[in-house]
Amino acid sequence: MNNSLIIGQYVPGNSLIHRLDPRTKITVIFFFVFIVFFANNVVSYSILTLFAIACIVTSRVPIRFIAKGLTPVWFLIIFTFILHLIVTKEGTVLLEILGFKIYSGGVIQGFAISMRFFLLILVTSLLTLTTTPIEITDAIEEMLHPLKKLKFPVHELALMMSISLRFIPTLMQETEKISKAQASRGVDFKTGPIKERIKAIVPLLIPLFISAFKRAEELAMAMEARGYQGGEGRTKLRELKIEKRDMLIFVLFVFVIAGLFYFRSW
Amino acid sequence: MNKTISNTSVTTSVSELTKVALIVALYVVVTAWFAVFSFGAIQLRMSEMFNYLALYHKRYVLAVTLGVVFANFMSPTWMLDVPIGGLATFLVLILCRAATKNISNQIVKMAVTAVIFALSMFTVAGQLSIVLDLPFFYTWLTVGLGELLSMTVGGFFVYILSKKIDLSK
Repeated sequence: MNNSLIIGQYVPGNSLIHRLDPRTKITVIFFFVFIVFFANNVVSYSILTLFAIACIVTSRVPIRFIAKGLTPVWFLIIFTFILHLIVTKEGTVLLEILGFKIYSGGVIQGFAISMRFFLLILVTSLLTLTTTPIEITDAIEEMLHPLKKLKFPVHELALMMSISLRFIPTLMQETEKISKAQASRGVDFKTGPIKERIKAIVPLLIPLFISAFKRAEELAMAMEARGYQGGEGRTKLRELKIEKRDMLIFVLFVFVIAGLFYFRSW
Repeated sequence: MNKTISNTSVTTSVSELTKVALIVALYVVVTAWFAVFSFGAIQLRMSEMFNYLALYHKRYVLAVTLGVVFANFMSPTWMLDVPIGGLATFLVLILCRAATKNISNQIVKMAVTAVIFALSMFTVAGQLSIVLDLPFFYTWLTVGLGELLSMTVGGFFVYILSKKIDLSK
């Protein structure tokens, strides 16, 4: 069980990457995820790796935070590598262990797939490491803005997301409080037969749901009392703006894409 | 008279909005708090129980979808998990609501939902197959069985919860 929660593991800072408009970061990362599948040789993978390293260095996020993000997926990366070593039977035989032949194609394939996954995680974790959840919510609202013409409730969606973010720590504390209260009554979440432990969660979940619904009703009343009338005419505390630095990143990224497609045919 | 109707409508929509928001928050909290509730070799994803809420009210379709989106932001592979997980959850929840519309027995409704969710794990298997080049059908089978187990335990919680709280309101 986890008693601490940081959504997206944001690391405060004032680097160029931190100051970029969140829409720029989302757009660049979106296209990065797409183009990473086009890398097919050492040079094209090197271009993407250099871009990832440049972003990490510029972000000034301590390496331990990046490594922490990679911890849960190391197993998957290694597993994938080994699987390709065993399954792929192309190229020349490099090694033979207990009847298993390791082919050069397997090593190349395993390395390429693991590298692709590693790069994906490295770059995508930069968004959540350098952008607050509320900035991401604002960016999503702005990016969905064109859908307003199709009567898509963009404002309501963004407000729901903001309210959720506001209440996550509150409900987290509530969970801890209820958990301790139940534990003091003798409920044991950690030991005993599976059936008993599953049953023990019920007295934790029921008050939690009741509390969430009660808070929702109170909040609705408070919003009503303050004259909430939907999104029309509402102004914003934080206005998003595309600056010169955002344009610079876009231009650099276009060079990365061009370089990748040029060198992938080598 | 009109003013009263209008006010009621605003109150209802604000109340719906806050209920959705709080369930999203609760989804994230349950996901993080229980992370993977482990019973030795058996591991359960507690937040899967939220999928059943959509059977009680359509507002939970949005709430659970947003919950999945938020919770998936905690994943190292969020760039794939957020859009694929969010979209798949949304579509599968709508499918579950449609498939169980004419079923009156609550337990049967839940069983059908669990099976649909287990089968829908082809999205996760597909994702793993594309990114990591893992064998699709074997991955689908293992992920699907894990989902079925989590949904079965989750169904137990929601069934008890529905006896204590009116989830349809």
